[in-house]
Amino acid sequence: MSLSVKNITKKYGDKLVVDNLSFEMKEPGVYALLGTNGAGKTTSIRIILGMLAKNSGEVLWNGSPIDVVNTNVGYLAEERGLYPKYSLMDQLMYFAKLRNVDKHTALERIKYWSDRLDVNEYVFPPKGKGRKSSKSNQADQLSKGNQQKIQLMVALLSDPELLIIDEPFSGLDPLNTDLFKSIIREEINKNKYLIMSSHQMPTIEEFCSDITILDRGKVKLQGNLAEIKKSYGRVNLLVKCEQDIASYITSFNLQIINKTPSEYHLRVQGENQAMEFLTRLISDNITIIKFELREPSLHEIFVEKVGVDQDEE
Amino acid sequence: MKSNITGWKHIYSFTLKQVLKSKTYLISYIILVMIVLVSMPIASKLLFANTEDENSPSPIDKVYVNNMTSLTDIEFSDINNITSFKHITFEPMIMDYDTLVEHITDKENASAILDISEENGSYNLHLSMVKEGPIKRSHLQRLGDALLTDFTNTRMEYLGISREQLALLQTPVLSKVTMTDINGAEILEEDTSISSSEYWFVYGILFFVMMTTMLTGTQVATSIASEKSTRVVEYLLITVKPLALMIGKVLAMLTAAMIQMLSMVAALFISNMISASFSYKDKSLLSQLLPSDLFNNINIVNIILCILLVFLGLLFYAVLAGIAGATVSRLEEINEGLTLFTMVSLVGVYIGLGAANTLIGAGTNAFVVFAFLFPLSSPFVLPGAILVGNASLPIVALAIALELVLIILLFRFVAKIYETLILHNGNTIKLKQLFQISKSV
Repeated sequence: MSLSVKNITKKYGDKLVVDNLSFEMKEPGVYALLGTNGAGKTTSIRIILGMLAKNSGEVLWNGSPIDVVNTNVGYLAEERGLYPKYSLMDQLMYFAKLRNVDKHTALERIKYWSDRLDVNEYVFPPKGKGRKSSKSNQADQLSKGNQQKIQLMVALLSDPELLIIDEPFSGLDPLNTDLFKSIIREEINKNKYLIMSSHQMPTIEEFCSDITILDRGKVKLQGNLAEIKKSYGRVNLLVKCEQDIASYITSFNLQIINKTPSEYHLRVQGENQAMEFLTRLISDNITIIKFELREPSLHEIFVEKVGVDQDEE
Repeated sequence: MKSNITGWKHIYSFTLKQVLKSKTYLISYIILVMIVLVSMPIASKLLFANTEDENSPSPIDKVYVNNMTSLTDIEFSDINNITSFKHITFEPMIMDYDTLVEHITDKENASAILDISEENGSYNLHLSMVKEGPIKRSHLQRLGDALLTDFTNTRMEYLGISREQLALLQTPVLSKVTMTDINGAEILEEDTSISSSEYWFVYGILFFVMMTTMLTGTQVATSIASEKSTRVVEYLLITVKPLALMIGKVLAMLTAAMIQMLSMVAALFISNMISASFSYKDKSLLSQLLPSDLFNNINIVNIILCILLVFLGLLFYAVLAGIAGATVSRLEEINEGLTLFTMVSLVGVYIGLGAANTLIGAGTNAFVVFAFLFPLSSPFVLPGAILVGNASLPIVALAIALELVLIILLFRFVAKIYETLILHNGNTIKLKQLFQISKSV
């Protein structure tokens, strides 16, 4: 299986919202679509899902144009999409039916995911005395986090081959964030194809091998995350010492990216300069608590790529 | 096309099930059916509360006649030929008025007083009764009407006109105007105008269809706008195409509305049958209010044609309302979105009303035929016209065909714009923008 997005372009009137986006997933894994608000991520996702018509380009799944009716796709949108007043069970069965999942399998999967996500009491509410069921089985009675769990269930009910998740951890507490992460890892281990969009860069780094950064519809950076980082080199230096090292920084002409009361975040020209700096500190008997030379984080790359272009305009 | 509508049945069954289960629908359904069920018996009771069987004996036993005119020998013998009045005796008033009233109040409260007076060349017949007694104003009114005929006959006889001559005078005169061709042969012209009873029947059906159209349209628009505002539509669109979503939703809402409508019609019939128990004649309310020949054209074929026309009309307007629902992003904007739907449906209703008014005055003419065929107005006026026998089968067939063509054109338009509309977020989309979208797709 493979997903191939080729030169997709979308215009609303004269406004170009997605400009010639292309990427490919030849193997299972997680692909990240990143960008600021309004960068064109959601529009791109809608085009990939076949929800929205494109002006040009094509989206191929296993070499054929993707078809929403016949392709088993799961989707977790950034915003919740549940009927507020209908029972959760009715809604889950409905979405399963729309995905051509038979009733028996659907019930089994609903039971499994209800247990896994700890929402049994809402999906299978206890029947009250003299009443058919309590009101707690309606979506509008659930917290944002629980609604997000139900939404994830909807996405996973058909055991999709391609799963697209937009801001999956939004509104979740740390425990549920870990629960969602474990489920995503399970899906990766089941050799599923995932496209993830998130503003939480550490999460992207945790799961994604390949990324595309979009800015106002245009591709700003694309490729394998490890290679992108490697191309930047290890130029980020984090130093924490007992003494003040401001004079050393000045003498080595290092750029201060950030400074906290106890730690400096510096930009060096390369590993040699960092080693010279370390040697000097040691020779002058400066007590070093932390000396870390690393590649830039995705957050830093993102800010640099998108921030620079916005500054230029 | 097939994949464009794949899944509409799932949308249809889920939407219909949820609508039928919803409290709003159930409560409104029960209330409406109950209102219809009790409406006819109550109306019958109110309308005919004081009406009695014309053959049942009048509670008036005796009438004291106070003749203050120059006419002598006034007899009301013919009154006794009427079944309900045959027991009534007439006596000249010999006591003075106050004494007689006292006498009647104390001893003969089933008696009435008839004053016959003459003033400025006209005669007055004045019947009076005492307050406490079995006689009601309606009884006096009925007796008065009968006495008037009898008194007129008496006057004629007083003038020397015999009964036979009088009968001849009272023979109705019929007039007829015809047109002839140059050879003098009569040109036959069919009278296609409708009676006032038929007008009210057509009007009633028009009003009923209009209410159903408005109700269904609002429900469809609200349902679609609600799916948009709750973002459910995003999840639906990864499994079905927008057109399938629209078809499933509109048909489900229509089915719910049709269930409600047909239940109300059934309840109306039951209510009408029940109303017979509350009528003195054991006749149902409608059979008393409407002429019996009004129902001559109500047969299974005409009923099916009417249901088909109404269904197609509702479908057209529901799709229009569906577009309206998709043009807005928030439920609060639904009224703004429904402006076009409301305007178009009102145009249809007013043309239908105009046609009904024309039918009662001038009969079928070019405007009426236009209203029958025009797809916006035909669902409102044509069903009534079919049931009163004022629309021919070719006209009905043509109207159905035109309605179908319009619906197909509308669906093709919807297929073009609905995808963009359903995911649109922002200001309400105007008509001009809809056409721009359809051209750009």
